[in-house]
Amino acid sequence: MKTRHSLPSLRLLTLLTGLLGVGIARAQEASATSGPLSTATVLERIKVGPYELPDLPLKTNLNYAASAADIEPFGGVKPYKEHFLVQMEYTGPGRALPEPEGLKSVGIGFLGPIMPTVSVATGGRSHNEEALGIMMMRGAQLAIDQANAAGGYRRLAIPFELVVRNDNALWGSSGNEIVRMAYDDQVWAILGSIDGANTHIAIRVALKAEVPWMNSGDLDPTFIETNIPWVFRCIGDDRQQNYIILDYLFRKHDYRRIAIVRSSSRYGRFGVREIRDGCRRLGRPVLVEMAYKGGQEDFDMVLDRVAEVQPEVIVHWGNGPDGARILNAMRARGMDQLFIASDRAVTDEFVQLAGQHAEGVVCGFPWNPESPSPRLRAFREAFVAAYGTEPETYAAHAYDGMNMILWAIQEAGLNRAKIRDVLAYRDQPFPGVTGDIPLSAALDDAGEVFLAIREGGRWIYHSREDLGIPRGQVIQQTRTLRETARR
Amino acid sequence: MKREHAIALGLAACLYGGLAAQNQPGSAAVDKPAPRPDPGRPYVYTQWEHFTKADGLPNEHIFAVKVAGDQVWVGTENGLARYDKRTGAWRSWTEADGLPWRVVSGIDVHPKTGEVWIGLFGGGLARYSAGRFDHFHQLNSGLVNDVVYGVAVEHDNIWVATTAGASRYDTIGDKWSIYTEKNAPMEEIWNYGVCYNDGLVHLGVWGSGVLEFDVATGRWKDYLDPDREMEIDLYRDDGIIHVITTGVSYVEKTLWVSTYFGVCRYDGRHWRGWYAHESGLPSDFNNFVKGRSAREAWYCTDKGVGALMDFDTDTWVTYTTDGAEHAGQAVIQRGETPVATIETGYNLSHNYALAVDFDGNDVWIGTSKGLCRGVGTGYYSGLRPSSGAALVKQ
Repeated sequence: MKTRHSLPSLRLLTLLTGLLGVGIARAQEASATSGPLSTATVLERIKVGPYELPDLPLKTNLNYAASAADIEPFGGVKPYKEHFLVQMEYTGPGRALPEPEGLKSVGIGFLGPIMPTVSVATGGRSHNEEALGIMMMRGAQLAIDQANAAGGYRRLAIPFELVVRNDNALWGSSGNEIVRMAYDDQVWAILGSIDGANTHIAIRVALKAEVPWMNSGDLDPTFIETNIPWVFRCIGDDRQQNYIILDYLFRKHDYRRIAIVRSSSRYGRFGVREIRDGCRRLGRPVLVEMAYKGGQEDFDMVLDRVAEVQPEVIVHWGNGPDGARILNAMRARGMDQLFIASDRAVTDEFVQLAGQHAEGVVCGFPWNPESPSPRLRAFREAFVAAYGTEPETYAAHAYDGMNMILWAIQEAGLNRAKIRDVLAYRDQPFPGVTGDIPLSAALDDAGEVFLAIREGGRWIYHSREDLGIPRGQVIQQTRTLRETARR
Repeated sequence: MKREHAIALGLAACLYGGLAAQNQPGSAAVDKPAPRPDPGRPYVYTQWEHFTKADGLPNEHIFAVKVAGDQVWVGTENGLARYDKRTGAWRSWTEADGLPWRVVSGIDVHPKTGEVWIGLFGGGLARYSAGRFDHFHQLNSGLVNDVVYGVAVEHDNIWVATTAGASRYDTIGDKWSIYTEKNAPMEEIWNYGVCYNDGLVHLGVWGSGVLEFDVATGRWKDYLDPDREMEIDLYRDDGIIHVITTGVSYVEKTLWVSTYFGVCRYDGRHWRGWYAHESGLPSDFNNFVKGRSAREAWYCTDKGVGALMDFDTDTWVTYTTDGAEHAGQAVIQRGETPVATIETGYNLSHNYALAVDFDGNDVWIGTSKGLCRGVGTGYYSGLRPSSGAALVKQ
């Protein structure tokens, strides 16, 4: 017989643990004693009525985002409260909704920039993310096509259908698109998007409409820092890229003079946040941080200011073409500093524009596309066969994200809450073409990230271990319960 | 309509009296510090009424509740409803009846005209007046976005909290103003909650804390978490508890704020925050807040309702329900210490609470599975001496 917890009894338990000042202990203890559950067990336990909470242990982390002690915010102080260490629950009645009958297809939403749009971030022009969005859509569509070729929904010959909506930044219209997908199209889950601001808007809608949301292309660290139990991400974020870059710069190479040049978009602003903060916390504050408008051609003023502070390293966060133009302008004026960039520089367009200047550029990267994984090889072949072009980051992660959704739907059936549950309580990393995808307590991709270095005219992908990049001490104890702030 | 009463039992009162006597200061052991005197007990709602589709609601997923005189307006995931308290009759509107969009996420009623202003989640704004719906949206008005989370009437202006900024509609001059990061201190533009009272408009902005607009001066003021970090709260009472705000309520010059990370209160000089582990909040995940006074506020969470009944003594009443068994509890708590548990019978329609409004002594609560009314017979504000309470377990 399945165990059932009523809220009053859980409430009492919460009170008791709270009294001991160890609110987190309950989840830790539950995880330790019962461990992660198999999907079959999860499926059994989520067969509950509208008023019941399933008896499921919550994922618990003891350190948020594997942050080294010396770069934790306000590291010298024990904070009053830490967030994102215990998995969020869904406590609504949605699990009791019956599966609909007579469906002709199973719709899964897609939100991505697939056509030029007016962009708030750029002040009018399209934010040039269409190329990324189209690749993302292709990756998602390929996963759908393969699932349909394998028999569709539960081999019932009911096909999956990708319901595509363009992600338009104009006046937050992405929010309207999500509402339409949730209520008119009746999709069972949604994959998207890339633009950080739009995706934030979208997940707020998903929370209210109660639709599972998988993100495969927005690397904004704050995307997952919203406590929304319906949100997942299957790609390493900019925080993790920032961390490996910081360790590469300081713990491996001992650079001391860092400058930042970034896009004035949300992507640029939030993308460098951990680098900026980490530099300061490690005693090497960023000398100057300059922002530019996307698509800008003249970087004289930006580089004048940067040159004044005589940096050893310039970190760029923005789109690849912008980065290439900045790099070319730097080299043209004799600035030969190490150029570090975000993963958006790892593109053919960047290399074409930068030419020989691309050599030696170091980029954070969320996966290793040179992995010898058979899964990745099969995906590449299928993608090339379908679209006549090689897949890249956005296609590969969308393919993984969509396969996670498809897996969850096949397991859970057509119930949004249960689809969410099997993803949220999955006990093993998802075997993706981009690598294994373990989800943290915040349901973020906690997998490995890489550095892509342009060497000998090609990108070489290095793991932390490949390059011997030291890691700062990651304390596996929640900060509020440590003996001292850093111990 | 199902009506379940958990009336105070005389026997239980005697039982409680005995238990309370054991806690009197004089009965404590000599070598123990004397317990602090009981400052009294808050009012506990033990009489609840429940409303479902069977009663006339168009949908049981309730997003908004607004009491206006004898009428209670209810916004649901699939339609608008109105309850007439005099007759007990329901009327509802869906898209088939002229409602411009199915999902109603916010409601306010103009006190002067009686017009009902309806926030539509993905459908813009509607005005219901004289039996007709007028529709305002991105393409025919100055509404900044159609995904509306909250609506508030300020004089003859209608404030609309949308996912891409706030709009203010001057109903007399038929003029719109838009507030975004361009002209207001919004670090993010994702507006969630809005309220008006006492000359001030407050916006709860997801990612940007609370913004205050002074109607007389047109000036903005922002309230943010001073540590400016997402993953920690460095000090609890140093400012707003987290910038991802979900609800705001301003009453008696006191600001009550809900977030998905805890809740807080600001009296114009001091901030005070609360988390679930140290208070009567059933959860840190708070969907909404409504202040009843400077001392009392009700928080709607995903695990029940936490009512701070007396700020001065940090006295809470936490309502949770077991809908399957039609049972429920109210836990009186002082700070983190439970004081008493009262079996109320079926109280909240569901523990996932999304909206609350006050109706004299009564309280209406919208949940993700139905609407309920706590009947406040004999309601009192603050605390009273603890004799004569209802069924108590300690």
